[in-house]
Amino acid sequence: MAQDTAPSAATLPPRPARARRGIALQYLIVLGVVALAVLSLLTLDLPAWDRVVDGLRNNMVRLLRGFISPNWETGPLAVSSMAETFFMAVLGTTIGAVLAFPLSFLAAGNLMGGTGGSYPGKTLLVAIRTFPEILLAIIFVVAAGPGPTAGIMAMGIHSIGFLGKLFGDVIESIDPGPSEAIRAAGGNSLHVFFYSVVPQVLPEFASTTLYRFEINLRAATILGLVGAGGIGLPMIQRIQFRRWDEVSMLLIVIVGVIIVVDAVSSRIRRRLV
Amino acid sequence: MEQPKAPATAARLLTLGTLAIIVALLWVSARQTDFSLSDLWTGANDFFGFFLRLSPDWRALPEIWAPLLETLQIAYLGTVFGTLLAAPLIFLASFNTTVNTPVMWVARSILTLIRSIPDLLYAAILAPILSIGPLPGVVALTIFTMAVLAKLASETVEAVDPGPLEALRATGAGRNRMIVYSVLPQISATMTSYVLYVFEINVRASTVLGLVGAGGLGQLLNRYLNFFDYGGIAVLIIVIFAVVLLIDSASIYLRSRLL
Amino acid sequence: MIEFRDVQVVYPNGLEALKGVNLEIPRGQFVVIVGLSGAGKSTLIRTVNNLVAPTRGEVLVDDRSVTRANGAELRKLRSEIGMIFQTFNLVKRSTVLRNVLAGRLGDNNALLSLMGIFSRDDLALAHASLRRVGIPEKAYVRADALSGGQQQRVGIARALAQKPGIMLADEPVASLDPPTSHAVMRDLKRISGEDGITTLVNLHFIDMAREYADRIVGMNAGEIVFDGTPEEASDAVFERIYGRAIDEEHDIRGAA
Repeated sequence: MAQDTAPSAATLPPRPARARRGIALQYLIVLGVVALAVLSLLTLDLPAWDRVVDGLRNNMVRLLRGFISPNWETGPLAVSSMAETFFMAVLGTTIGAVLAFPLSFLAAGNLMGGTGGSYPGKTLLVAIRTFPEILLAIIFVVAAGPGPTAGIMAMGIHSIGFLGKLFGDVIESIDPGPSEAIRAAGGNSLHVFFYSVVPQVLPEFASTTLYRFEINLRAATILGLVGAGGIGLPMIQRIQFRRWDEVSMLLIVIVGVIIVVDAVSSRIRRRLV
Repeated sequence: MEQPKAPATAARLLTLGTLAIIVALLWVSARQTDFSLSDLWTGANDFFGFFLRLSPDWRALPEIWAPLLETLQIAYLGTVFGTLLAAPLIFLASFNTTVNTPVMWVARSILTLIRSIPDLLYAAILAPILSIGPLPGVVALTIFTMAVLAKLASETVEAVDPGPLEALRATGAGRNRMIVYSVLPQISATMTSYVLYVFEINVRASTVLGLVGAGGLGQLLNRYLNFFDYGGIAVLIIVIFAVVLLIDSASIYLRSRLL
Repeated sequence: MIEFRDVQVVYPNGLEALKGVNLEIPRGQFVVIVGLSGAGKSTLIRTVNNLVAPTRGEVLVDDRSVTRANGAELRKLRSEIGMIFQTFNLVKRSTVLRNVLAGRLGDNNALLSLMGIFSRDDLALAHASLRRVGIPEKAYVRADALSGGQQQRVGIARALAQKPGIMLADEPVASLDPPTSHAVMRDLKRISGEDGITTLVNLHFIDMAREYADRIVGMNAGEIVFDGTPEEASDAVFERIYGRAIDEEHDIRGAA
């Protein structure tokens, strides 16, 4: 199936300048990323290779052995602390959602008269969101004492930032049609709010809140590390004492609950939106 | 004339039922955790009271720079390695680019499993094994990045236009080339946006990984906590806040230019 | 030469798309397959490169079984068969040239092509293919910036870059307006004749088939109900294929 169509290589048309620049930029970026990575690796205070291998050899075997045979006696403790963790997440998410609800309207451009009007609201939410949750938990533990309350408060406040932003996005994306129709029929702003805005955003709000709950549940499992309640404390204690079989049991409960919650949550969220 | 009856009693029952469940859940939660609304109020008071009383001890500033750099490096390496390792998994877990169905389910299961363990827990478990320092932090973030990225990306991959894939398959291209030439161009912008987003999360996470011994600012935080050095904590909080804010803004800006 | 031996295709939902088709197509012939949607045209054409695997029977290309070919063999066979699609199936955000080069992927070095590096011969072939379909100047333009007719031409160029012995066209002009459709069909016929490529085209309209085909195969409900020259495809035959009479509305012969 010979095709005598290939001309001599010398007659290849040149690549336009813009394409050449684009390709050069891509290569540069890849090079930059690799260079930065290598630099970081070299300057980080990483342990010597043989120490790592040594540590692995000594500890990994013990860890794996412990993991393969979880300590069922720790089961009840695992379940009860995971339950506490679960409830913490519920309360934290609810507080976050409830408080984020009004704030989100302050951060929505289409309700605050344009991007300028929503700026303060958005900035406040960003400020709240910037704090890592653990930091908040530490502050609460120091300020109000250890226990699940500190964790709940930390999650609640952080969630306000997260949910406030996402709620705001949802509000900004609603269909302006129904609002216009209500105004045309003589309704005032309150009518517009309750009959057009709220019904449109509620399902998305619920779905987003559930998503945040999934994240908060994970966060709640580690807040205990700093004394803010939940399964984090028993977990870190057992890790420090290298009781891998008990760690394994705790992990099983954590992973199990999270997977189930994720699955149920996905189901519900799909039916909502 | 008779009015039609109010429809869907079933729907109303569902709404009422859901509300009832939520209220019950809240009540049980509050009881089990000894939480009450008054706690909310006192908690908020305590928080702001503490906050306002915090006076930053700026002498601590010089010793923050090195751990700060380490924090950023940990986040960066975790993101890079995590992305590299996630790439094959993403394509194996998506139904339109996988090798065969069992492999797809294995990949998805692995990802679900990895995703259900929070990053700090990985770091906590790895610290005693890999020796305290930045290494467990990098490994923990790598695993975490894989999980998060794979979830985000595989949804994008599965939503890609199937036409070009079929065309490439028809030319006899193997699976890898098919992915590179028909899937990657369609998702490259979105993927870069995801990677930047994960980097954001990782910076935030790596600031506290040191609490369990995984390097960075967290170890400093631990020390200040143990010595009740609230002045130092105050400075640390401010620094962390500033860094995260900076990275977040840069990331948001870059992402808006991409899409 | 393409040979269909008692090819039957039953889809997982129970639909019998092809009911034991037997067909032989000699090298270089320009065959048009006509029929309603759901008659089995798309399925038939996809059994040639095994994008659809027959539930029974076999398809052979030059005495090599496509149906039974595995992994590497199948990819080799596919690299010799070019395919163009109704929706063009170009990678919209890539340049025209990149899309055409994709035609070389069945054939060249694995590692280099993964990095996007093609040999000078490949590049020359790609540019030449674009010249043959009349749009050499569009090489570095993004694919989605082209008109429908031009995009289909890129599709043809991509197939040409494979240096194929067989060309499959699944409703190549269904998304194009009549003048553009005729232009594309003319190009297809010309290139096919110049290179001696065995060509199978699915078309909706028998009138276009009559104009361009060496041979017309009519399908209805998974079976071949007509196989002959355009002259033999009378209006009575048309009724057999489509189940109704031809009328003025659907006669788009000879436009522009």
